[in-house]
Amino acid sequence: MIVPMNVVLGLSAVLFAIGAFGFLARRNIILMFISVEIMLTAINISLAGFCLHHGNLRGQVLALFVIAIAAAEAGIGLGLLIAKNRNKSGADVSDLNKLKW
Amino acid sequence: MIFDLTTGAFYYMAGASVLSAILAVTRKNPVHSMLWVLSLFMHVAGIFLVLHAEFLAAVQVIVYAGAILIFYLFIVMLLDLSGEETRPRFGAHWPLAGIAGILFIIIALFPQVEPRVAEDPSPGNLAQVGQQLFGPFALPFEIVSLVLLAAIIGAVVLARKREIEA
Repeated sequence: MIVPMNVVLGLSAVLFAIGAFGFLARRNIILMFISVEIMLTAINISLAGFCLHHGNLRGQVLALFVIAIAAAEAGIGLGLLIAKNRNKSGADVSDLNKLKW
Repeated sequence: MIFDLTTGAFYYMAGASVLSAILAVTRKNPVHSMLWVLSLFMHVAGIFLVLHAEFLAAVQVIVYAGAILIFYLFIVMLLDLSGEETRPRFGAHWPLAGIAGILFIIIALFPQVEPRVAEDPSPGNLAQVGQQLFGPFALPFEIVSLVLLAAIIGAVVLARKREIEA
C-alpha cells in the first residue's frame, strides 16, 4: 500500500472534525448543510481506505450509497429551506426560535 | 525513503483538502464557501484515485461536484442573502463547537491498524464495482433508489407553492 492506513484514517478524522465544527458553529443553514457534506466526504475517504486495506469492494459500494443519501439529504434540506423562505426570508438558524422554550 | 510521486501527490491532496475544508467553513460569503468546497471535492477525488477507487473518483466529480454542489449554489443565488456579510458568521456558542471538533481530531491520533497484504491487488475497477452492485448488493441498491424517489417527491411537495385554501 502506497499510503499508510493510519494516515488515511487520520485525514478522514480531521476532515470530519472540520465538518462537525462547521455544522455546530455556523449560523447560515446552507453552510451547515455544506458542513454535513464535508463530514460525509470524510467518511467516504475512510471507506475507500478500508476497501484498499481489506482488498474487497464493499467499502466502495457503501461509499456509493453514502453519496446517494447525501443527494437525498441535500434535496430535502434545501426544499425545507425554500418552504421556510416563503414565510420568513433569510437563512439564519438563530431566527428559527418559535419552538424554543 | 525514496521519494514516490504518488505518495507526494497524496500528501499534497490531503493538505489541500484540509485547507479547503477549513476555508469553506470559515468564509463569510456563501459563494466563496461553495467554491472552496468545490476545491475540497476535487482534491478528495484525487485521493480516491490514489486509493484505487477510480469509479468513486468519477462519481465524486460528476455527482458531488457536478450535481449536488451546483444545487447548493442555485439555492444560494435563489435566496436573498444580502445581509449575510454584515452578520457574524458563527453563533455565540462557537467555542463549544471548536471543543467538539478538537475531540474529533483527538480521535485521529489513535487509529491502530496493523498492516496487511490485500487479497486482491487491484480492486476498484468499474466492472468489479458493477458486479458487487448487482450481485450481493442488489437489494440495498434497489432500496437506495426508493430512498431517492422518496426524496424527490418530498422535495417537490415541500417546495411547491401552496394554493390558498378557501
